[in-house]
Amino acid sequence: MSPIDPRLQEALDGERDPGDLPVDLREAYVRLISAAEMLTVTPRLSVASRVMAEIRRNPAPAQSEGPARRLIRWLGRPRAVTVRLRPVWTLALAAGLATVLLLQWPNGGPTPGVAQGIANFVGHFPGARSVEVVGSFNDWSRGTLHLSDENHDGIWHAAAVLPAGQHEYMFVVDGERWVPDPLADRYVDDGFGAGQQNALIIVRAVTAQP
Amino acid sequence: MENRDEAPSRGVTEMVNNGTPADVDVVAQVLGGDGEAFGILIRRYEPGLLRFATRMLGNPDAAADAVAESLVRAYRHLAQCRDPGRLRSWLYRITGNRCRSHLARRHMNDISLSDVPPPALADGSDTWAVLERGEQVALVERALAALPVEKREAFVLKHVEGMSYEEMAKVTGARIPTLKMRVHRAREALLAALEEVVR
Repeated sequence: MSPIDPRLQEALDGERDPGDLPVDLREAYVRLISAAEMLTVTPRLSVASRVMAEIRRNPAPAQSEGPARRLIRWLGRPRAVTVRLRPVWTLALAAGLATVLLLQWPNGGPTPGVAQGIANFVGHFPGARSVEVVGSFNDWSRGTLHLSDENHDGIWHAAAVLPAGQHEYMFVVDGERWVPDPLADRYVDDGFGAGQQNALIIVRAVTAQP
Repeated sequence: MENRDEAPSRGVTEMVNNGTPADVDVVAQVLGGDGEAFGILIRRYEPGLLRFATRMLGNPDAAADAVAESLVRAYRHLAQCRDPGRLRSWLYRITGNRCRSHLARRHMNDISLSDVPPPALADGSDTWAVLERGEQVALVERALAALPVEKREAFVLKHVEGMSYEEMAKVTGARIPTLKMRVHRAREALLAALEEVVR
Protein backbone atom coordinates (compact mmCIF):
# COMPACT_ATOMS: atom_id res chain seq x y z
CA MET A 1 0.00 0.00 0.00
CA SER A 2 1.63 3.23 -1.14
CA PRO A 3 0.63 6.74 -0.11
CA ILE A 4 -1.87 8.45 -2.35
CA ASP A 5 -0.80 11.62 -4.08
CA PRO A 6 -1.80 14.56 -1.84
CA ARG A 7 -3.64 16.16 -4.75
CA LEU A 8 -5.94 13.15 -4.90
CA GLN A 9 -6.58 13.36 -1.15
CA GLU A 10 -7.38 17.06 -1.51
CA ALA A 11 -9.81 16.35 -4.32
CA LEU A 12 -11.49 13.62 -2.29
CA ASP A 13 -11.74 16.02 0.65
CA GLY A 14 -13.43 18.57 -1.60
CA GLU A 15 -10.49 20.94 -1.38
CA ARG A 16 -9.47 20.68 -5.03
CA ASP A 17 -11.37 20.47 -8.29
CA PRO A 18 -11.01 16.86 -9.49
CA GLY A 19 -11.06 18.17 -13.04
CA ASP A 20 -7.61 19.64 -12.42
CA LEU A 21 -6.08 16.26 -11.60
CA PRO A 22 -3.74 14.48 -14.02
CA VAL A 23 -5.37 11.63 -15.91
CA ASP A 24 -3.99 8.82 -13.72
CA LEU A 25 -5.10 10.54 -10.53
CA ARG A 26 -8.46 11.31 -12.04
CA GLU A 27 -8.96 7.61 -12.75
CA ALA A 28 -8.11 6.76 -9.15
CA TYR A 29 -10.49 9.50 -8.01
CA VAL A 30 -13.33 8.06 -10.07
CA ARG A 31 -12.57 4.57 -8.87
CA LEU A 32 -12.72 5.55 -5.21
CA ILE A 33 -15.81 7.71 -5.64
CA SER A 34 -17.64 4.98 -7.52
CA ALA A 35 -16.58 2.45 -4.87
CA ALA A 36 -17.99 4.68 -2.15
CA GLU A 37 -21.19 5.15 -4.13
CA MET A 38 -21.66 1.38 -4.19
CA LEU A 39 -21.67 1.39 -0.41
CA THR A 40 -24.41 3.99 -0.13
CA VAL A 41 -27.20 1.55 -0.91
CA THR A 42 -29.50 1.53 2.10
CA PRO A 43 -30.48 -1.95 3.30
CA ARG A 44 -34.15 -2.75 2.90
CA LEU A 45 -34.62 -3.35 6.57
CA SER A 46 -36.58 -1.71 9.31
CA VAL A 47 -36.29 -2.06 13.03
CA ALA A 48 -38.95 0.54 13.78
CA SER A 49 -41.68 -1.87 14.88
CA ARG A 50 -39.21 -3.87 16.93
CA VAL A 51 -37.89 -0.79 18.71
CA MET A 52 -41.33 0.67 19.36
CA ALA A 53 -42.55 -2.68 20.72
CA GLU A 54 -39.63 -2.74 23.13
CA ILE A 55 -40.32 0.83 24.17
CA ARG A 56 -44.01 0.10 24.76
CA ARG A 57 -43.22 -3.10 26.66
CA ASN A 58 -40.81 -1.41 28.99
CA PRO A 59 -41.32 2.34 28.81
CA ALA A 60 -38.88 4.72 30.38
CA PRO A 61 -40.06 6.81 33.33
CA ALA A 62 -40.31 9.92 31.21
CA GLN A 63 -42.87 8.27 29.01
CA SER A 64 -44.98 6.28 31.39
CA GLU A 65 -45.54 8.64 34.27
CA GLY A 66 -48.60 10.73 34.60
CA PRO A 67 -48.65 14.03 36.47
CA ALA A 68 -49.65 12.41 39.77
CA ARG A 69 -46.83 9.91 39.68
CA ARG A 70 -44.34 12.59 38.67
CA LEU A 71 -45.50 14.67 41.65
CA ILE A 72 -45.00 11.72 43.98
CA ARG A 73 -41.52 11.16 42.61
CA TRP A 74 -40.74 14.85 42.89
CA LEU A 75 -41.86 14.89 46.50
CA GLY A 76 -39.87 11.77 47.31
CA ARG A 77 -36.68 12.88 45.65
CA PRO A 78 -33.89 14.30 47.84
CA ARG A 79 -33.07 17.90 47.07
CA ALA A 80 -30.87 20.60 48.50
CA VAL A 81 -32.56 23.48 50.27
CA THR A 82 -30.82 26.81 50.73
CA VAL A 83 -31.91 29.19 53.46
CA ARG A 84 -30.35 32.65 53.76
CA LEU A 85 -30.48 34.27 57.19
CA ARG A 86 -28.84 37.20 58.95
CA PRO A 87 -26.11 35.96 61.35
CA VAL A 88 -27.97 37.03 64.45
CA TRP A 89 -31.05 35.14 63.39
CA THR A 90 -28.90 32.20 62.35
CA LEU A 91 -27.50 31.89 65.85
CA ALA A 92 -30.91 32.18 67.39
CA LEU A 93 -32.39 29.68 64.97
CA ALA A 94 -29.51 27.27 65.50
CA ALA A 95 -29.98 27.42 69.24
CA GLY A 96 -33.69 26.92 68.88
CA LEU A 97 -33.27 24.00 66.51
CA ALA A 98 -30.68 22.39 68.75
CA THR A 99 -33.05 22.61 71.67
CA VAL A 100 -35.93 21.13 69.71
CA LEU A 101 -33.80 18.39 68.23
CA LEU A 102 -32.25 17.42 71.52
CA LEU A 103 -35.66 17.24 73.08
CA GLN A 104 -37.13 15.26 70.23
CA TRP A 105 -34.15 12.99 69.50
CA PRO A 106 -32.27 12.57 72.74
CA ASN A 107 -29.92 10.07 71.14
CA GLY A 108 -28.83 12.36 68.29
CA GLY A 109 -30.18 14.16 65.21
CA PRO A 110 -32.10 12.76 62.25
CA THR A 111 -30.06 10.54 59.97
CA PRO A 112 -30.52 9.16 56.49
CA GLY A 113 -32.66 6.08 56.33
CA VAL A 114 -31.50 2.53 56.08
CA ALA A 115 -29.07 2.03 53.21
CA GLN A 116 -28.82 5.77 52.60
CA GLY A 117 -26.00 8.23 52.96
CA ILE A 118 -25.19 11.87 52.46
CA ALA A 119 -23.61 12.95 49.19
CA ASN A 120 -21.74 16.23 49.14
CA PHE A 121 -21.26 17.92 45.80
CA VAL A 122 -18.67 20.68 45.64
CA GLY A 123 -17.37 22.48 42.57
CA HIS A 124 -15.33 25.57 41.79
CA PHE A 125 -17.09 27.52 39.08
CA PRO A 126 -16.17 31.20 39.38
CA GLY A 127 -18.55 33.46 37.51
CA ALA A 128 -21.22 30.79 37.09
CA ARG A 129 -24.82 31.91 37.41
CA SER A 130 -26.14 28.50 38.32
CA VAL A 131 -24.80 25.02 38.96
CA GLU A 132 -26.84 21.88 39.34
CA VAL A 133 -26.23 18.15 39.50
CA VAL A 134 -27.77 15.59 37.22
CA GLY A 135 -27.06 11.93 37.55
CA SER A 136 -28.22 8.38 37.66
CA PHE A 137 -30.00 9.11 40.94
CA ASN A 138 -32.36 11.65 39.39
CA ASP A 139 -32.72 10.17 35.90
CA TRP A 140 -30.35 12.84 34.61
CA SER A 141 -33.12 15.36 35.03
CA ARG A 142 -32.31 18.98 35.47
CA GLY A 143 -33.97 21.22 38.02
CA THR A 144 -33.89 18.81 40.93
CA LEU A 145 -30.60 19.36 42.73
CA HIS A 146 -29.12 22.86 42.68
CA LEU A 147 -25.80 23.88 44.20
CA SER A 148 -25.45 27.20 45.95
CA ASP A 149 -22.59 29.67 46.24
CA GLU A 150 -23.43 31.30 49.52
CA ASN A 151 -20.18 33.22 49.86
CA HIS A 152 -20.09 34.32 46.23
CA ASP A 153 -16.55 32.98 45.98
CA GLY A 154 -17.21 30.60 43.12
CA ILE A 155 -17.39 27.53 45.35
CA TRP A 156 -20.71 25.83 44.87
CA HIS A 157 -22.07 23.22 47.25
CA ALA A 158 -25.05 20.99 47.79
CA ALA A 159 -25.75 17.97 49.93
CA ALA A 160 -28.34 15.32 49.32
CA VAL A 161 -29.46 12.07 50.87
CA LEU A 162 -28.96 9.31 48.33
CA PRO A 163 -29.21 5.54 48.36
CA ALA A 164 -25.94 3.92 49.33
CA GLY A 165 -23.89 2.79 46.37
CA GLN A 166 -22.34 4.23 43.25
CA HIS A 167 -23.94 7.08 41.35
CA GLU A 168 -22.81 8.67 38.09
CA TYR A 169 -23.27 12.39 37.78
CA MET A 170 -22.34 15.58 35.97
CA PHE A 171 -22.51 19.26 36.82
CA VAL A 172 -24.61 21.48 34.57
CA VAL A 173 -23.23 24.99 34.68
CA ASP A 174 -25.42 27.93 33.67
CA GLY A 175 -28.00 25.52 32.40
CA GLU A 176 -26.09 24.47 29.32
CA ARG A 177 -22.53 23.36 30.00
CA TRP A 178 -22.18 19.74 31.15
CA VAL A 179 -18.92 19.10 32.95
CA PRO A 180 -17.72 16.14 34.97
CA ASP A 181 -16.79 16.98 38.54
CA PRO A 182 -13.06 17.82 38.37
CA LEU A 183 -12.71 16.76 41.99
CA ALA A 184 -14.43 13.41 41.66
CA ASP A 185 -12.65 10.40 43.05
CA ARG A 186 -13.43 8.29 40.04
CA TYR A 187 -14.78 8.57 36.52
CA VAL A 188 -16.55 6.10 34.29
CA ASP A 189 -17.16 6.04 30.58
CA ASP A 190 -20.58 7.46 29.83
CA GLY A 191 -21.37 4.44 27.67
CA PHE A 192 -21.98 6.40 24.53
CA GLY A 193 -18.53 6.10 23.04
CA ALA A 194 -16.44 9.14 22.14
CA GLY A 195 -14.48 8.74 25.37
CA GLN A 196 -16.65 11.07 27.42
CA GLN A 197 -16.80 10.36 31.10
CA ASN A 198 -19.18 10.82 33.97
CA ALA A 199 -18.02 11.48 37.49
CA LEU A 200 -18.68 8.76 40.02
CA ILE A 201 -19.61 9.22 43.66
CA ILE A 202 -19.74 6.40 46.16
CA VAL A 203 -22.29 7.00 48.89
CA ARG A 204 -21.79 4.95 51.99
CA ALA A 205 -24.68 4.08 54.23
CA VAL A 206 -24.64 5.95 57.50
CA THR A 207 -24.03 3.42 60.21
CA ALA A 208 -26.41 3.33 63.14
CA GLN A 209 -25.32 5.06 66.31
CA PRO A 210 -24.36 2.57 69.06
CA MET B 1 -21.47 12.74 -1.42
CA GLU B 2 -23.04 15.05 1.08
CA ASN B 3 -25.33 14.16 3.95
CA ARG B 4 -27.58 11.34 2.86
CA ASP B 5 -30.15 11.41 5.60
CA GLU B 6 -33.47 12.98 5.00
CA ALA B 7 -33.27 15.19 8.05
CA PRO B 8 -30.95 18.11 8.68
CA SER B 9 -27.78 17.08 10.42
CA ARG B 10 -27.46 19.61 13.18
CA GLY B 11 -28.48 22.87 14.71
CA VAL B 12 -32.13 22.21 14.01
CA THR B 13 -34.32 24.50 16.04
CA GLU B 14 -37.28 25.08 13.75
CA MET B 15 -39.53 23.00 11.61
CA VAL B 16 -37.56 21.13 9.03
CA ASN B 17 -38.27 21.74 5.38
CA ASN B 18 -40.83 19.02 4.87
CA GLY B 19 -43.01 20.25 7.71
CA THR B 20 -42.09 17.57 10.23
CA PRO B 21 -41.07 18.75 13.68
CA ALA B 22 -37.43 19.49 14.40
CA ASP B 23 -35.35 17.12 16.48
CA VAL B 24 -35.31 19.39 19.51
CA ASP B 25 -39.09 19.54 19.51
CA VAL B 26 -39.50 15.78 19.14
CA VAL B 27 -37.00 15.15 21.92
CA ALA B 28 -38.91 17.53 24.20
CA GLN B 29 -42.13 15.75 23.26
CA VAL B 30 -40.68 12.35 24.15
CA LEU B 31 -39.19 13.58 27.41
CA GLY B 32 -42.56 15.13 28.20
CA GLY B 33 -44.08 11.66 28.18
CA ASP B 34 -45.07 11.08 24.56
CA GLY B 35 -43.04 7.97 23.85
CA GLU B 36 -44.78 7.38 20.52
CA ALA B 37 -43.11 10.52 19.19
CA PHE B 38 -39.85 8.61 19.25
CA GLY B 39 -41.14 6.90 16.12
CA ILE B 40 -40.58 10.16 14.26
CA LEU B 41 -36.90 10.03 15.11
CA ILE B 42 -36.68 6.37 14.16
CA ARG B 43 -38.16 7.02 10.73
CA ARG B 44 -35.87 9.99 10.29
CA TYR B 45 -32.58 8.32 11.16
CA GLU B 46 -33.13 4.61 10.74
CA PRO B 47 -32.03 4.38 7.08
CA GLY B 48 -28.70 6.09 7.69
CA LEU B 49 -28.03 4.18 10.89
CA LEU B 50 -28.77 0.85 9.20
CA ARG B 51 -26.51 1.75 6.29
CA PHE B 52 -23.74 2.79 8.66
CA ALA B 53 -24.07 -0.33 10.82
CA THR B 54 -24.23 -2.61 7.81
CA ARG B 55 -21.00 -1.18 6.45
CA MET B 56 -19.38 -1.45 9.86
CA LEU B 57 -20.47 -5.02 10.55
CA GLY B 58 -20.69 -6.39 7.02
CA ASN B 59 -23.92 -8.18 7.86
CA PRO B 60 -27.44 -6.70 7.59
CA ASP B 61 -28.89 -8.89 10.34
CA ALA B 62 -26.17 -7.95 12.80
CA ALA B 63 -26.61 -4.33 11.74
CA ALA B 64 -30.34 -4.49 12.43
CA ASP B 65 -29.61 -5.86 15.91
CA ALA B 66 -27.07 -3.14 16.58
CA VAL B 67 -29.36 -0.35 15.39
CA ALA B 68 -32.35 -1.68 17.31
CA GLU B 69 -30.29 -1.92 20.49
CA SER B 70 -28.89 1.56 19.88
CA LEU B 71 -32.29 3.14 19.36
CA VAL B 72 -33.73 1.54 22.48
CA ARG B 73 -30.68 2.70 24.40
CA ALA B 74 -31.03 6.19 22.96
CA TYR B 75 -34.66 6.27 24.03
CA ARG B 76 -33.84 5.17 27.56
CA HIS B 77 -31.11 7.77 27.89
CA LEU B 78 -32.66 10.56 25.87
CA ALA B 79 -32.42 12.92 28.82
CA GLN B 80 -28.65 12.51 28.58
CA CYS B 81 -28.56 13.90 25.06
CA ARG B 82 -26.90 17.17 25.88
CA ASP B 83 -27.64 18.87 22.60
CA PRO B 84 -30.82 17.61 20.92
CA GLY B 85 -30.01 19.88 17.98
CA ARG B 86 -27.18 17.47 17.21
CA LEU B 87 -29.24 14.35 17.72
CA ARG B 88 -28.00 12.75 14.52
CA SER B 89 -24.38 12.82 15.75
CA TRP B 90 -25.47 11.40 19.10
CA LEU B 91 -27.35 8.53 17.48
CA TYR B 92 -24.43 7.70 15.22
CA ARG B 93 -22.14 7.77 18.24
CA ILE B 94 -24.30 5.28 20.11
CA THR B 95 -24.62 3.07 17.05
CA GLY B 96 -20.89 3.20 16.34
CA ASN B 97 -20.23 2.22 19.91
CA ARG B 98 -22.65 -0.66 19.65
CA CYS B 99 -21.05 -1.81 16.40
CA ARG B 100 -17.63 -1.83 18.04
CA SER B 101 -19.04 -3.99 20.82
CA HIS B 102 -20.40 -6.43 18.24
CA LEU B 103 -17.09 -6.48 16.43
CA ALA B 104 -15.16 -7.06 19.61
CA ARG B 105 -17.28 -10.12 20.27
CA ARG B 106 -16.81 -11.39 16.74
CA HIS B 107 -13.09 -10.58 16.58
CA MET B 108 -13.60 -9.17 13.13
CA ASN B 109 -10.70 -6.82 13.75
CA ASP B 110 -8.41 -9.75 13.22
CA ILE B 111 -9.32 -9.97 9.57
CA SER B 112 -6.61 -8.65 7.31
CA LEU B 113 -6.58 -7.98 3.62
CA SER B 114 -4.70 -11.17 3.01
CA ASP B 115 -7.50 -13.15 4.62
CA VAL B 116 -10.10 -11.79 2.26
CA PRO B 117 -10.09 -13.59 -1.04
CA PRO B 118 -10.67 -11.32 -4.01
CA PRO B 119 -13.64 -12.20 -6.19
CA ALA B 120 -12.79 -14.08 -9.32
CA LEU B 121 -13.09 -12.06 -12.47
CA ALA B 122 -16.01 -13.17 -14.56
CA ASP B 123 -14.11 -13.66 -17.79
CA GLY B 124 -10.48 -13.31 -16.88
CA SER B 125 -10.31 -9.74 -18.16
CA ASP B 126 -8.05 -7.27 -16.50
CA THR B 127 -10.14 -4.15 -16.13
CA TRP B 128 -12.48 -2.86 -13.49
CA ALA B 129 -14.99 -1.93 -16.13
CA VAL B 130 -15.73 -5.47 -17.24
CA LEU B 131 -16.60 -6.65 -13.77
CA GLU B 132 -20.29 -7.15 -13.26
CA ARG B 133 -21.87 -4.63 -10.94
CA GLY B 134 -22.48 -7.30 -8.33
CA GLU B 135 -18.86 -8.36 -8.47
CA GLN B 136 -17.73 -4.77 -8.09
CA VAL B 137 -19.93 -4.28 -5.03
CA ALA B 138 -18.72 -7.54 -3.50
CA LEU B 139 -15.13 -6.51 -4.09
CA VAL B 140 -15.61 -3.11 -2.49
CA GLU B 141 -17.45 -4.61 0.48
CA ARG B 142 -14.67 -7.12 1.04
CA ALA B 143 -12.02 -4.45 0.81
CA LEU B 144 -13.92 -2.30 3.28
CA ALA B 145 -14.41 -5.21 5.69
CA ALA B 146 -10.67 -5.83 5.62
CA LEU B 147 -9.91 -2.35 6.96
CA PRO B 148 -9.21 -1.91 10.67
CA VAL B 149 -12.39 -0.80 12.38
CA GLU B 150 -11.31 2.79 13.02
CA LYS B 151 -10.35 3.38 9.40
CA ARG B 152 -13.49 1.64 8.19
CA GLU B 153 -15.60 3.83 10.44
CA ALA B 154 -13.86 6.99 9.27
CA PHE B 155 -14.25 6.07 5.60
CA VAL B 156 -17.92 5.18 5.96
CA LEU B 157 -18.79 8.32 7.90
CA LYS B 158 -16.94 10.48 5.38
CA HIS B 159 -17.75 8.87 2.06
CA VAL B 160 -20.90 6.87 2.68
CA GLU B 161 -22.69 9.06 5.21
CA GLY B 162 -21.25 12.25 3.76
CA MET B 163 -20.31 13.80 7.08
CA SER B 164 -17.98 16.71 7.57
CA TYR B 165 -14.85 16.12 9.63
CA GLU B 166 -16.39 18.28 12.35
CA GLU B 167 -19.42 16.03 12.65
CA MET B 168 -17.24 12.95 12.45
CA ALA B 169 -15.30 14.29 15.43
CA LYS B 170 -18.53 14.56 17.39
CA VAL B 171 -19.53 11.02 16.43
CA THR B 172 -16.22 9.35 17.15
CA GLY B 173 -14.65 11.59 19.77
CA ALA B 174 -11.44 11.60 17.74
CA ARG B 175 -9.64 14.79 16.72
CA ILE B 176 -10.04 16.09 13.19
CA PRO B 177 -6.39 15.55 12.17
CA THR B 178 -6.66 11.99 13.42
CA LEU B 179 -9.81 11.44 11.42
CA LYS B 180 -8.26 12.90 8.29
CA MET B 181 -5.35 10.54 8.66
CA ARG B 182 -7.70 7.57 9.11
CA VAL B 183 -9.69 8.52 6.02
CA HIS B 184 -6.50 9.00 3.98
CA ARG B 185 -5.16 5.63 5.07
CA ALA B 186 -8.49 3.96 4.35
CA ARG B 187 -8.51 5.43 0.84
CA GLU B 188 -5.00 4.17 0.23
CA ALA B 189 -5.88 0.67 1.41
CA LEU B 190 -9.08 0.55 -0.61
CA LEU B 191 -7.43 1.85 -3.75
CA ALA B 192 -4.60 -0.65 -3.34
CA ALA B 193 -7.12 -3.48 -2.88
CA LEU B 194 -9.09 -2.43 -5.95
CA GLU B 195 -6.01 -2.07 -8.11
CA GLU B 196 -4.72 -5.42 -6.91
CA VAL B 197 -7.74 -7.15 -8.36
CA VAL B 198 -8.04 -5.32 -11.65
CA ARG B 199 -4.35 -5.21 -12.43
